[in-house]
Amino acid sequence: MDVLNDLMGGFATALTWQNLLFAFIGCLLGTMIGVLPGIGPVAGVALLIPLTLNMDATGSIIMLCAIFYGTTYGGTITSVLLNTPGEAASAVTTFDGYAMTKLGRAGAALTIAAVGSFVGGSIATVGLVAAAKPLGELGLLVGPPEFFALVTVGITLLVALAGRSIVRALISGSLGLLIAMVGIDPVAGAPRFTFGSERLLDGVSFVAVIVGVFGLSEILAYRAGKTPDAIHAPNLRSLLPNRTEWRRSAPAMARGTGIGFGLGLIPGMTGSVSSLLSYGAERKFSRYRSELGHGAVEGVAGPETANNAHANGALIPLFTLGIPASPTIAVLMGAFLQQGLTPGPTLFAENSEIAWAIIASLFIGNVLLIILNVPLVGLWTSILKVPYPILAALILLFMVIGAYTIHFTVFDVFVMIAFGVLGLAMRHLDIPLAPMVLTLVLGPLMERSLRESLEISQGSFEVFYTRPITATLLVIALVIVCSPLLKLRKPKVLANDDPES
Amino acid sequence: MTTESPTTEIAPTQSRPRPARSVLIAQAAFLLLGLYVLYGSLELGLWTTLGPGAGLFPFAMGAVLTLMSLIWVVQEQHAPSTPREEVELSQIAAVIGSLLVLATVLPFLGFQIALLLFLMYHLRIRARLGWVKSLIISVAGSVGVFYLFTLGLKVSLPVASIPPFSLIGL
Repeated sequence: MDVLNDLMGGFATALTWQNLLFAFIGCLLGTMIGVLPGIGPVAGVALLIPLTLNMDATGSIIMLCAIFYGTTYGGTITSVLLNTPGEAASAVTTFDGYAMTKLGRAGAALTIAAVGSFVGGSIATVGLVAAAKPLGELGLLVGPPEFFALVTVGITLLVALAGRSIVRALISGSLGLLIAMVGIDPVAGAPRFTFGSERLLDGVSFVAVIVGVFGLSEILAYRAGKTPDAIHAPNLRSLLPNRTEWRRSAPAMARGTGIGFGLGLIPGMTGSVSSLLSYGAERKFSRYRSELGHGAVEGVAGPETANNAHANGALIPLFTLGIPASPTIAVLMGAFLQQGLTPGPTLFAENSEIAWAIIASLFIGNVLLIILNVPLVGLWTSILKVPYPILAALILLFMVIGAYTIHFTVFDVFVMIAFGVLGLAMRHLDIPLAPMVLTLVLGPLMERSLRESLEISQGSFEVFYTRPITATLLVIALVIVCSPLLKLRKPKVLANDDPES
Repeated sequence: MTTESPTTEIAPTQSRPRPARSVLIAQAAFLLLGLYVLYGSLELGLWTTLGPGAGLFPFAMGAVLTLMSLIWVVQEQHAPSTPREEVELSQIAAVIGSLLVLATVLPFLGFQIALLLFLMYHLRIRARLGWVKSLIISVAGSVGVFYLFTLGLKVSLPVASIPPFSLIGL
């Protein structure tokens, strides 16, 4: 009952009015970021990190987590109403969600999606509660070589799944690692690749890089003339799904929870993979599979549930092993580090109060989101009616503030601009952005574990193939990287671009 | 450079589509960067008497980058990819240009004036919004946001450092 006690303690912290307010603001901002076309979850969370630096650690992480899973709710709204996914993981929702809108069932689709997200998110959080302690203890046994191997598997999996070309994904990944190298070397203390600039001794600020690569480049890539269709906010009465819709979506939600939670545990899997696979599962197993694509409620319930189960499940490897599973979680991990918290097995030992408060806030956030989303659909759709140039100007305003406030210098604003151009070039060349973010945050940790491993073995690379877990993981990573050569095709549902990149 | 060798392979008469120029430039840039990193990491030292040196990990990454760029060059010569849809140059120039100017004048004019001008440019001139609307949004976005951050969130934003504005504390 230890766990329950800890969790109750967490609730006590999370339910103070400040933390509730932070969770509420986070949910609001998250949904808004999810709805807004020009800014995705990765840039959204990164942008708001500097603003939370002056807050206490618990509050700021609660808010950023709320933003993170809030975006998965928000993205659904545009998928269903506009046929354009606000963020990547809800791209599959457009198939049946928009079809339901055309059938006049937009309200029902949104409610089912919100309920599914709530179910998936809450069950995954229960899983997090159950897994936190045992996995955390297991995590303490993970030495530098195992950590290095685990991170390698995560990065290779993301590389293999992102984009069409593994070669270009690897270029993106190595770029991220190289950017992370800039600054003082963590072991020997020598400056690396600073080009003699004092400002670069601290390294390139990852917030500026991510806001540039993900946020600014999106605005730069915008082309006028793509006017969206007229949006009709569904009225309140049509928000209630009928009994058949409830009955039909229940099994889809169950499948979605399983898929999302399971995949969330694997480093390198993004939420979009979960929702795609869940849609695939519906196509195979649903009793109404023939209706999929023509407005079947399963096509909304399954992926949306999977997506949120994934978002919450993906926090498990972060909390217990210190490994972020997807780009957005990597940014979240950056926020932990900025607050002086090291995600991983030691988190529960050293900052257990904060860790449990965050977990409790996940439950609270899921409740808040369902309250916020269903009745406020009208508000969110009205945001979509604001002309894009106005939105873009305001988003740029916040990008400048976000970049400036990292170190209170305009240098980071210039860094952001430069990386915005790089991001635009990468988009243009079809180089996926996701691997870069992951390696950017993980780079220093990866290097440290590599060098620590080599110090343990006194410079011999034996340490990577004599330890069974390490060796197995590295072989898996190798197989993944070589999969195009071995003619291993990725599953058909994943063949299209992972839009999170 | 190494980019030359594959081109000779596809010389045959069939008129295959050639790689786009932007792709070639990018490949050259990545190759150069990779080689620079390899060189830089050698300078840093791959191995010391104490174990792995500061240059080991960057060296590995530089190697991956160089190798992958080379494979990409070969791939591209065999089957050129089509770069994504064209971008709108006026949009890019306007956004980048205005941001560069903004970042340059920010320390002198201070957040409020600089952002007021920045927002007015984007709203009134680029988005062709009416004067009244543009002004309201710009003032809220500059002066309003300034006080929200400095007073509400306790995050300080830059103030003007040149005479007429700094005297009145803008």
